[in-house]
Amino acid sequence: MNRTDRLAWIGMSLILVLTVLALAAPWLAPYDPLAVSLPEALLPPSAAHWLGTDQLGRDVFSRLLYGTRISLVIGFIAMGVAVGVGVTIGAVAGFAGGWLDGVLMRAVDTLLSIPTIFLLLAVIAVDPAERLVSLTRWPIVGPVAAAVFHWIDPRIVVVMAAIGLMSWMGVARLVRAEILSLKEREFVLAARGLGASRWRLMTRHLLPNAMGPVLVSATLGVGGAILTESVLSYLGLGVQPPTPSWGNILNEGRVALGVAWWLTVSPGVCILVTVLAFNLVGEGIRDRFLR
Amino acid sequence: MATYLIRRLLSLIPVLLWITVLSFGIMHLAPGKPTDAATSFNPRVSLEARQRLEQLYGLDQPLARQYANWLTRIVKCDFGRSFLDDRLVIEKIAERLPITLAINLLSLGLIVGLAVPLGVCAAVRPHGIFDRVTTVLVFVGYSMPSFWLALLCMAWFGVELRWLPVSGLHALDYESFGFLHRWADVAWHLILPVSVAAFVSLAGFSRYVRSSMIDVLKQDYIRTARAKGLSEREVLFGHGLRNGLLPIVTILGLSLPDLIGGSVIAETIFSIPGMGRLFYEAVMARDYPVIMALVTVGAVLTMLGNFLADVAYAWADPRIRVGSEGSA
Repeated sequence: MNRTDRLAWIGMSLILVLTVLALAAPWLAPYDPLAVSLPEALLPPSAAHWLGTDQLGRDVFSRLLYGTRISLVIGFIAMGVAVGVGVTIGAVAGFAGGWLDGVLMRAVDTLLSIPTIFLLLAVIAVDPAERLVSLTRWPIVGPVAAAVFHWIDPRIVVVMAAIGLMSWMGVARLVRAEILSLKEREFVLAARGLGASRWRLMTRHLLPNAMGPVLVSATLGVGGAILTESVLSYLGLGVQPPTPSWGNILNEGRVALGVAWWLTVSPGVCILVTVLAFNLVGEGIRDRFLR
Repeated sequence: MATYLIRRLLSLIPVLLWITVLSFGIMHLAPGKPTDAATSFNPRVSLEARQRLEQLYGLDQPLARQYANWLTRIVKCDFGRSFLDDRLVIEKIAERLPITLAINLLSLGLIVGLAVPLGVCAAVRPHGIFDRVTTVLVFVGYSMPSFWLALLCMAWFGVELRWLPVSGLHALDYESFGFLHRWADVAWHLILPVSVAAFVSLAGFSRYVRSSMIDVLKQDYIRTARAKGLSEREVLFGHGLRNGLLPIVTILGLSLPDLIGGSVIAETIFSIPGMGRLFYEAVMARDYPVIMALVTVGAVLTMLGNFLADVAYAWADPRIRVGSEGSA
């Protein structure tokens, strides 16, 4: 086991611990993350409140625990969206070639040339949550949407979707490049010669062999998505209070920057450690399988 | 070279068109009409007045026509007026763009100035002690939320130690300073924003320098240079670095959108009146003309940066321009 492997295992165990913490948050949290208690506002860390309290007297440790849920869910789902869109578009572009490839790749160039944060903020500025909620009145889709919104706030759905839809371009380029080189290889030509359909070629021969780099960029992407969510929430445009997220706790901490350092330090450490864990695992996979 | 430049410039046109479609499209996802913000909260605005406003902005026309109109206007750099204060959008951008550009150029300078030596030192002995230490730092740098770093620096250097100013571009009594003092004051205020902006890209960048240098140092001409008895310094900097830096030019170009995007965060935190802060304010106020204009301007800046990077690359490496002319 070499050094990157060891680091990757450390990252892996960190992710596992974080997942357990997120799942067990209701049992582990010493306080209700939303319980306001003004007399206990801005207490420094102590035995009663391990990481202190915020302006409204809410327990920071409990809020961070619940924030883990938000971060992990947004990270994984946003990356799922990005991988889904990226693999589809990359595969179609690489396989079809010609004008379709041209159009799709120009679209990728375009999205890559606009600063991601500009696009995200612009999309969130037009308030798509309102539109999403109106989905519940549609036939067929309606009940599904209603069920989803029962569990997840539509504004968080917007954040996940927006982050996902702004980060598929790298995956699309990767997959396209892989498909372009794979489709000239002997085993693919052989399958084609045996009369395999395009769908079969794609799903059985091309895509499975293109998945390695996608896995790496997906792992790194989860970290990136978590980072992006925290930026959005910090700017007040992501997860909205009172729902705790690492980003919006930092936003509250900024107001009390000189007074309550614990409000700024602890959420930042959470973000750093989580993103670091995903980056370590991603790099580990890359070192191990792709070189 | 000329053919290469023209081909490269022409290839920008479809991307530019896509950008305008995109920023136009996003704004038309908005529920209601942009004029609602100006009128619907005011009960005294009559239906006629609203229709007049809609006509003024062309909102009563089909979408395709609206897009065509908007496109012909922005080609002439006319982005309309801000909903917020009714000033020309292009004016608002023009007074803030130089600040953002200056900060980004400074941090770009800082990035290159630090990342190149770091990367080269790490590449000289891959997996040596220096390389290992920087690798760890790079991982941390990659994962660091830049706005958190900014907050920590503010709290530590600004609030706790009182060494550096935490916000704004200059002191309150700036007007009374002499010429040199003004420059020094602005530089003083820029230390934190510029170094925080640089730190985040520094990590990835030194990594690229490292791997590019490792590749170059394996080449035959490096062995030749050593074999003919050149000093290690000449081998590294004369032969190695010159070639190793080439791919870096492209990466620099590609990192532009992140730099410009990062200015939204940095300028908001340090209250610097630049383009990023203008964008944030426009988003918060749903000031659609400004948002659309800034998305377009941000993208054009990025494309321009990439274009310059390509030109620099082609100028430094004849294989690029000759190859592309041959295939043309």
